[in-house]
Amino acid sequence: MSLNRTQQFKNIILIISYCYCCITSVKGFDNSDTTITSTREQAIAYIEKIKVLQKSSSWPNIKPDLFLANLKSNIYNPLSIYEGSNTNFCGYAALSYLPLHHDPLGYAKFMIELFEKGKASIRKEKFLPSLAVHNAAGLLVFKGTLDIRPADQLWFLCLADHFKGYLNYFNNNFQPGDEDRMWAAVNYAKFNRIIKRLYNYKVEAIGADLIRPHVNNLYEYISEKLTSGTVFLFLDNRYLTKKQHSNFRPTIPTHFVTVMDIIKTGDLITLTYWDYGGKTLQQLSPAFLKKIIFGISHCTQKKTDG
Amino acid sequence: MVFLIARKKKLMVNKIKLGLFLLCTVLLISSCNNSKKISSASYFRNEKKLDSIQQSYNTLYGHVPFSLEFTDNAFNEIAIGIATDSIKYIYQFGINEKRLSDTLQKYDLNITGVKHLITQMKSIHCTWINNLAYFENDKKKMLTYISLRPVMANLPFTNSKYFIITYFKQPQYFDSEGRLLAGRKLRKLRQINNETFRRINDKVCYTVSEKFR
Repeated sequence: MSLNRTQQFKNIILIISYCYCCITSVKGFDNSDTTITSTREQAIAYIEKIKVLQKSSSWPNIKPDLFLANLKSNIYNPLSIYEGSNTNFCGYAALSYLPLHHDPLGYAKFMIELFEKGKASIRKEKFLPSLAVHNAAGLLVFKGTLDIRPADQLWFLCLADHFKGYLNYFNNNFQPGDEDRMWAAVNYAKFNRIIKRLYNYKVEAIGADLIRPHVNNLYEYISEKLTSGTVFLFLDNRYLTKKQHSNFRPTIPTHFVTVMDIIKTGDLITLTYWDYGGKTLQQLSPAFLKKIIFGISHCTQKKTDG
Repeated sequence: MVFLIARKKKLMVNKIKLGLFLLCTVLLISSCNNSKKISSASYFRNEKKLDSIQQSYNTLYGHVPFSLEFTDNAFNEIAIGIATDSIKYIYQFGINEKRLSDTLQKYDLNITGVKHLITQMKSIHCTWINNLAYFENDKKKMLTYISLRPVMANLPFTNSKYFIITYFKQPQYFDSEGRLLAGRKLRKLRQINNETFRRINDKVCYTVSEKFR
């Protein structure tokens, strides 16, 4: 009797193991571990079919014509997405480089669904923005071009509302004006997590919020990584784009940029990066670059056949 | 003997006390130097020069959009940001370097005009000039943003404050306290770089800020 019970138990274990193996192997064929991509042409074909958008009850302060114009601008010119002056949206704007360049159709469909239904999903992430965010989108003003880009406002607000890191601990719920405060802040781990969760990229990240990465030759490292994927830098923007002449100022990372190109010209490094809706080319010394960089994220697409 | 040692000790303590007192006094004085009031008077002191800088800059900007920044305390180093359709170039030079002229020529900027602007800016410690976009009823408009750096700003333990002036192309609306409003119908205060501005005249406003841009 006791032997029978042991045998039954063993059989149950075997059946459960077999089922688990079947499920995981099926999951392997489900393309879920592949980075989804689409072309700009597909996105243009999709967005051009939409002639008029009706006003959405979910987003009472968004003008549908401006929303559609903003969406089209992002698809035709992906570098035009703008985080707004003096906001903490730079991290969200930088990572938007990936969907806008590699899956613009997915981005467009998600944005239209989010606008029309007030909620939408990317992979397993379900975006259910708070009421405060619903009311704020379209009302952000005095932020430069972001004032007339309601789709960008909605996108950044939803990302900040959905993903939380330790910097957001004391300011977790959106209040008007929080786009400039810690509510919208992005720490380095959160930045990399968002890319992995939303877009399923392989992210190779070095550095941390307060510790610089140990790389002997930053130029060689970044230029090598650029050949195989997208590179983001987490850096101290207060040195890159000086706004004060302080005598004593600790170096801490405050900004995310997307690296477009890096070349060595004599003793200087010519860095071309994207932020604030445009590309900037700046010549910097290797020592200065080492001083301001706190994180380098190298993102590559996952492919089933690869 | 014991008396002498006690006296020496007392003298030492007094010296330390005096040292601490002097240090505290220096810190207090240097932290208070910003009490020198920066107000619209700072504009009127340099009114002609500032208006001339604004006009020269906008004439040059009309040909090629650019921004100009003095990066050092001695006002000998500049950073020039030249905006083209596809990219913004940022270069740093000494104001007397030949590379400056070469670069201005490369981007079709008026060499004499820019150099004159640099001299004008240096003469009144103007640290930054740029044109900024702002929106009124979803329409894009431009304003000229000029920052002046007070001489005292370089002292340690001081909180540097900049005197910022904005030049608008159209007359603006202000509340009863002279604060810049977002529009005639909107009673909301307009923020530029997260700062509230005050009236100098219908088209010129000022503020005092910890950031020069």
